[in-house]
Amino acid sequence: MNEILEKLFTCIEFGKINTASPYPPQMRGQEGAMELTKQALDAGIAPSEIMDTALIPAMTRVGQKFTEGQVFVPQMLLSAKAMNAALTHIKPFFQSGEVKRKGTFVIGTVFGDLHDIGKNLVCMMVEGAGWEVIDLGVDVSAEKFVAAIEKHPGAHVGLSALLTTTMTNMKTIIDKVHETHPEVKFIVGGAPVSAEFAQEIGADGYAADPQDDIKILESFLNA
Amino acid sequence: MHDSVKSTFHTYRFPYGEVLPSLDELARYLHMDGDTEHPAYAYMQERLDELATSELQAVGGYAIGAVDAVDMQGGLLTVEGVTFEAGTQVCGYLKEATEAALFLCTAGPLFSDEAHRLNAEGEFLEAYIIDAIGSLAVERAMDKIHQALKEEQAQRGLKITNRYSPGYCNWPLKDQRALFGFVGENPTGIELSESCLMHPIKSVSGVIGIGEKVRRRAYGCVVCQNKTCIYRRLVQKE
Repeated sequence: MNEILEKLFTCIEFGKINTASPYPPQMRGQEGAMELTKQALDAGIAPSEIMDTALIPAMTRVGQKFTEGQVFVPQMLLSAKAMNAALTHIKPFFQSGEVKRKGTFVIGTVFGDLHDIGKNLVCMMVEGAGWEVIDLGVDVSAEKFVAAIEKHPGAHVGLSALLTTTMTNMKTIIDKVHETHPEVKFIVGGAPVSAEFAQEIGADGYAADPQDDIKILESFLNA
Repeated sequence: MHDSVKSTFHTYRFPYGEVLPSLDELARYLHMDGDTEHPAYAYMQERLDELATSELQAVGGYAIGAVDAVDMQGGLLTVEGVTFEAGTQVCGYLKEATEAALFLCTAGPLFSDEAHRLNAEGEFLEAYIIDAIGSLAVERAMDKIHQALKEEQAQRGLKITNRYSPGYCNWPLKDQRALFGFVGENPTGIELSESCLMHPIKSVSGVIGIGEKVRRRAYGCVVCQNKTCIYRRLVQKE
């Protein structure tokens, strides 16, 4: 791997945002994700190569470490900040079409529920895996999901719920969306949700953590 | 059925400075202990210092009633004519209770409002930290109320149990309505949504058993399915 991209990978993995960031201590004073992404572009490295070789694999590594219990939410959030810093330079190429997203993921916490920490983590990790993420927020009605699907044809949908009383609203949303868009695929997650429940309500996947969401989305691509 | 002993709501108020977690406790809760160079550490200290001087308070308390029946097989707990589907596990812990304290406590809306604002600004790490401070603050306020109840009942020669909440230990969340109905008028300002979510979010509710033969015990995480429960995280840290 190119040396700049190698450094960029490390910055994302350990949450080194820019030169001014004092963390991690062993990288103090060194350039961070912000500067290295700019350098890579200036060196003529294609933005798609930066995404595919450094940014996405680094976030995948972070997701794996989280799944394995090697890092926890604060470390993951810092990596996401570094990723966002890098993406400020890459985003114009998404808009111009020079860098292609893998697809679109519409996500929201179901109506009746206001919990958003888990959902936000999924947003960051899925975006870091190369997907466009449309975050509808919390307390999202079935109608809002339908409207988002109509605005983003071909999108897959993620539903989050943290309460036993609101997880049942997932089925209402899936049924409502499928009335007019039977092709839409759903991934569900949240503390009270299980794989069995996901199957019962007609979801296409159950994600126990953000890395699961990414794996399931990849499986949709390969289906 | 026991004679009615139903009390009005005993209120407790604690300035934030009395219920905030210490920096070490917060760091342990977030799995950050040892990583003192992480930027989260400085932010945690800054917010804890700022909140410690706040004039805001955590508010909570309980209403006590006589236990009419504990149906172990059906998992039903009846207090002063109000039946809770508390489940076989909680009923097992309360089977010797002659009275029950139904409690509410809130750390107020500040934590969720602030987390919401920070999330909207893309400051997810900071939002996560403020949310965690709120979770620990309301539990610490409830710890103090729990202790006050223990001392109050000790004067009567009675002991108390752990606290158990709807939504945990297989006690359906929908019983929040019965619980709030039992507690009645109170100054916490906590409201229930249609889906039984408490507002402010950083609030807790539940039951504590009282009696001569009840006892406090280690939380039963082994038999509970909730992998994200705050008690599981606290127990694992002990």
